[in-house]
Amino acid sequence: MSSAPATSTDTGWILGLLQASDSLYPTGSYAHSLGLEGMVDAGAVRDRATLRTFLLNSVLPSLRNVDLPLAAHAWKALGARDWDAVGEVCALASALRAPRELRSAAEAIGRQRAELLANVHEAELAREFLRHAAEASWPHCTAVSAALEARVHGAPLAAVLAAVCYAAVAGVIAAATKLLRLGQNAAQGLLTEMVALCPAMVGPACELPLDEIGWFNPWLDAASARHETANARLFIS
Amino acid sequence: MNALDGHLHLRAVRAPDGSTALSAQSFRAPFHLSKPNWDPDAEVLHVQVVNPTAGILEGDRLESSIAAETGAALLVTTPSASRLFRMTEGGHATGRQHFEVARDATLEVFPEPIVPHRGSTYFQETTIDAAEGSTLLFIDQLMPGRLAHGESWAWDRLVLGLTVRREGELILRERLDQSGASLRSLAEFAGTGPGSCFANVIFLPPAEEASPAWRNGILTLHRDGVWVGVSRLRTIGWSIRIVSPDPIRLRDTLADLRSKLRRSYPRLGCGLRRP
Repeated sequence: MSSAPATSTDTGWILGLLQASDSLYPTGSYAHSLGLEGMVDAGAVRDRATLRTFLLNSVLPSLRNVDLPLAAHAWKALGARDWDAVGEVCALASALRAPRELRSAAEAIGRQRAELLANVHEAELAREFLRHAAEASWPHCTAVSAALEARVHGAPLAAVLAAVCYAAVAGVIAAATKLLRLGQNAAQGLLTEMVALCPAMVGPACELPLDEIGWFNPWLDAASARHETANARLFIS
Repeated sequence: MNALDGHLHLRAVRAPDGSTALSAQSFRAPFHLSKPNWDPDAEVLHVQVVNPTAGILEGDRLESSIAAETGAALLVTTPSASRLFRMTEGGHATGRQHFEVARDATLEVFPEPIVPHRGSTYFQETTIDAAEGSTLLFIDQLMPGRLAHGESWAWDRLVLGLTVRREGELILRERLDQSGASLRSLAEFAGTGPGSCFANVIFLPPAEEASPAWRNGILTLHRDGVWVGVSRLRTIGWSIRIVSPDPIRLRDTLADLRSKLRRSYPRLGCGLRRP
């Protein structure tokens, strides 16, 4: 039997991930609903019950089939300093988002997070990534930036994928509190339910090959595309 | 029943008189090619790819590659839906298709829809390589099943991959890998009903358009329960998503869409019916 402690006492990476997911961290994600406002406009999301269905049928599958495996591939490529592979993940992440708003949101947030790592945390890996990205015109994305944060802070893959889940689900629910009649306790109840489902998604996401990444939701794509030209809107995406 | 290992290879070139001709063609069952038809008004060669068998069966392997070379204009259609028949557990069929369109060429691909029957499993991978200065209109349609038999969302697994590159740069990657039950739950949630059917339209114009007039026209097709969204792809081109409560409204919406694009791009106006 191992005499190693059951839990690591190295908690530096936990603090790094907490800071990255805190609302004080200026990523700009508060300005995005990531497709929710379009689905509200379309009448599909109307209340707590339909928001729950949206999270279960749309947000979690998209995380499982797109964002988590992208972050896992980026985490591995960054660990090996395989910059060609990192660039491939960046290009794929952008190409996987057909609606411009969803793509632009991921790029804006992803760029900001990478620059914060370079400028605030003064992380050499982030500076190196930004140099490669600028030279090769890689599109930025949140999944790769999450992997970059994990590598800078020394976080294990499972932890960063859990953080990606939390940030995505919490972001949609935060937007929902502005778009729907949804109280704080109801929002926390939904967040608790969704976050409990996330650990089971981490393992399969780590194993998904690059060419099997993708998720099909034409309703969300159409609603997001229509949101681009909506007369009135609260969120950028 | 023996599985089919079919192929279709077509190459369209600009002829000396300015028309388009097939410089190479090769096919094996279940593919068959009808006689090409030159539309002098749109200045487009129309070929119909015919599947004389009932549809796609377990074990079938289909491979196609279609190219429009510099200056050519080609419309590829099919006269009937691609039916995916019930397969045994673990059985499946596969399809690989590649489309290539060169500078100053126009390629429109507008097959009839895929109709997956109960218990079918199908893997299809589509790649599109477009050169700078080319025009591409790709329309893919998916039905939920045999609606006339009251059957919908009953397939086992459907994997439809799409990769679009322009000048070698990846501009779009899509992958549907979902069961019928998964799409049924999305359709119920969105409220478009059990007959929901889709069209995935990719339009690559020869040059970037900042704010094309046709876009607003297509957005007006979002009506009567039909969802239509138009969004710019990365670097160049457009993704148009259509969800319709039934096949009739989908067909009408696509006809209107082609009509609106035709005003800006006359070569996308080739008639779908043979004279």
